[in-house]
Amino acid sequence: MSSLTERLAAIVGPGYVSDKLADRICYTRDAGPSVGEVPGVVVRPQTTEHVSQIIRLANEVKMPIFVWGRATTFIGHGIRKGCILMALDLMNAIEKIDLVNQAVTVQTGAIWHAVDAELGKQGWELVVPGPGGLFVCSVGGTVAYNAVPHGLAEYGMTGDGVITLEVVLPDGSIVSTGSSANEVGGVAMERYANGPDLAGLFIGSCGVYGVITKVTYRIRLKPDAERFAFYSFGSAEQAANTAMALQRKHVATHLVGLYGGPKPTGVTGEAFLHIIIRDSTVNADARLAEAHTICSALGGIRLNEEATRLYWVGHMYSWLRNTPPDTYYGDRPYSCPEATAFLPSDKVKETIDFLRNYEVEHAEEFARHGIRIKCYDIYYSRNAAFIWIDTLYPELDSEAWKYGLKMRADYSEWLYSRFGSPGGIMAPLAQHIMPKLGAGFDLMKALKRQLDPNGILNPGVLMLGDEPDNGNGHNGSGNHE
Amino acid sequence: MSESGRAIDALKNIVYQCNRCAHCFDLSWLGDGYNKCPALRYGIFDSYSARGRFFIARAVVDGQIEYDADIAERIFACTECRACAEHCFKYITTTDIYEALKIDLAEQGLMPAALAAGLSDEGGLGEHHNVYQGSPEERLAWLPDMSRVDKPAETVFFVGCTSAYARQNMALDTYTLLDQAGVDFTVLSDEWCCGHPYLSAGQPDKAVAFMEHTLALVEKMGARRMVFNCPGCQRAFRDDYQKHTGKPGPVEALHVVELLAAYVKEGRIGMERYRPKVTVTYHDPCVLGRWMGIYEAPRDLLKAIPGVQLAEMARNRRDAYCCGAGGMIRYDFSDMANLAGADRIAEAEATGAEILVSACPACVMQLQQSRQKTRSKIKVMDLTELVASQMRPLRTID
Repeated sequence: MSSLTERLAAIVGPGYVSDKLADRICYTRDAGPSVGEVPGVVVRPQTTEHVSQIIRLANEVKMPIFVWGRATTFIGHGIRKGCILMALDLMNAIEKIDLVNQAVTVQTGAIWHAVDAELGKQGWELVVPGPGGLFVCSVGGTVAYNAVPHGLAEYGMTGDGVITLEVVLPDGSIVSTGSSANEVGGVAMERYANGPDLAGLFIGSCGVYGVITKVTYRIRLKPDAERFAFYSFGSAEQAANTAMALQRKHVATHLVGLYGGPKPTGVTGEAFLHIIIRDSTVNADARLAEAHTICSALGGIRLNEEATRLYWVGHMYSWLRNTPPDTYYGDRPYSCPEATAFLPSDKVKETIDFLRNYEVEHAEEFARHGIRIKCYDIYYSRNAAFIWIDTLYPELDSEAWKYGLKMRADYSEWLYSRFGSPGGIMAPLAQHIMPKLGAGFDLMKALKRQLDPNGILNPGVLMLGDEPDNGNGHNGSGNHE
Repeated sequence: MSESGRAIDALKNIVYQCNRCAHCFDLSWLGDGYNKCPALRYGIFDSYSARGRFFIARAVVDGQIEYDADIAERIFACTECRACAEHCFKYITTTDIYEALKIDLAEQGLMPAALAAGLSDEGGLGEHHNVYQGSPEERLAWLPDMSRVDKPAETVFFVGCTSAYARQNMALDTYTLLDQAGVDFTVLSDEWCCGHPYLSAGQPDKAVAFMEHTLALVEKMGARRMVFNCPGCQRAFRDDYQKHTGKPGPVEALHVVELLAAYVKEGRIGMERYRPKVTVTYHDPCVLGRWMGIYEAPRDLLKAIPGVQLAEMARNRRDAYCCGAGGMIRYDFSDMANLAGADRIAEAEATGAEILVSACPACVMQLQQSRQKTRSKIKVMDLTELVASQMRPLRTID
């Protein structure tokens, strides 16, 4: 056991540190295609004070430290060889449900849906139903990435529900934000309470400015009713125009457009809209009636909304395509080099046209590498559109993997050179957006230097810190090389 | 390494299917309690989870890591409860990967020490043909008489090692139930272990040899059916024999609760009222439930007993939490088994039930031990015991 391992064990307890390869190798890659390296040691803090001490030690020995939540995303911020890997999933307590201030306070590693379930026992819920990706995410990780959530059209982004945060800074000091910051009586009730919105600095920063250790999040009473609608359209333009009409009327809680990939089973049409409405029974019925009116007026053909309901309640994307998950997800060793972007809603058709042209122009490469289109799906926000460009490459084929990453780079460059912004920034997308941010990127870099002079915390993530990370695996040492 | 190469390499296509989503960690994505995997609860590092084992398998396949004792611990510290497979986002049969890894590890002499000793050909299962190192004479010592031993019959009651040596009351209860139900059955004097422990240890060839010993005796009796009270034994003959030989199992393999539930439905047997009324909860054995899909037959039997009220645990049927007895982990990871058992006892207590019922001798034994360790007041019994006290041929009921 190295002296670093021993010193980490002294902080968290010997059972919560491992430098065994069999353990370390399991912390190299999230659910995405980007391959990281093997950390030197894995440490499992159980308290905020542990996190603080670990970061102070990392500064002392000048060892990079990477933070790991549940690793259920496609973020792919490459872990570096020999680093300290700090896994936060044991910090998963639900500390306080505060119905007076309509807030819940959890440790960073609490699982989003488990928190929601606990609130549900009292008839309450988190104001955001959970991220649009996979469903066993931690609260802290989801906030740090600022994931695009379900319910985007009505409930907004993940970060919108944050009230206050507790964060350990790169020097090991512990800060609280918003109304919690008052050390002599702070109550976690309001984000915009004590000067600048410090929480905003950490939301979406992917842990470059600090480690979120505690989150206080807004909660609300569960709505009485959920209503669903499913429509097909003869063209992408028709569906996109209908979606904008629905946005203007604020009809949908969650509005999903399907513009590419396999068509839903058993129906006809070129593009499709799933509409989920949550409200009081009277309001939900009224909103649903309005949705039907708008969709029908703009040429939509009503479909059986059971697929929409199953998708919403079962958290399985396959139902968006009216397909059971066992046949949809089974038996495919494919991986997804996902590209994402917020777009103006009136640019959806232009974007879909680009993607379809790309397919045609690269048909030969697609065929050679076995590339599939999983989806060009859009989660609509109140006023914009968030596109998931999910292509699939065969995971067994390293050449296909490289081609998949190239496709992602092409998509990202096209989008961010025009009107797109990535939302949560995955490592592979950073190189395509950060240099385009001008003075804003300079400010981010200056903040990073000021807060983390040793470049200890998640270095390279968001291209901040010493070496930028392009999300393709440092030095090509991943198992795809 | 065998001439055919490492077992895991043949499954590379499946190893690569894991998308690392972590649905195998727990039931939180369904808004349920945290724990689903007893190994992850025990080991706490991801390497003990299904996702972690797939990371390891992929690293082995890709030549990034060599098999060693650390890997062996993480692969063998698995109760084979199959909860990970049940909720896999990609519908991967995760246990096929564990099995291949175990075969490779066993071949390289990396089987955990106590398990290796327990199954060895010298002083272990290989010599004694049972996992308790009991003598052949003891195996049928629980029998009331020898009238049904080695008699040609339609059905063979396969007793199993745990019933024969450690929980003889279960053997006797099953025997009595079959007798009272009018089943034409026999018991084998030279019954060997079903071979299931070898499967958990990555030695399928030895398992098949043990199964074939028994099947030869079954054939000799002219039987067309085997009945079990142990799901592990049943699975060996129902599913594993075919999987590892490519040949269909020559006889029907039924759990006794399946048989009795069918008899209740047919009106062939009935139950006396349980007095006073009692609330029971049912623990789904992993092998009976997730492995073989038998969830309702035991519940139907319980519901058939007047005066018995069934209160389900929070995690039941496909979501049921393992008791800790599976995968032969008690040999080398008894702490893990005890942790799982204690969790399950606590969950059973939370239902308010007075009796925790299961349908597996290994589960019952584990839960009884956990009950003692946790000083729980809940009574633990096998379903055969409960039914044996209440079942009567229909004509004798008032």
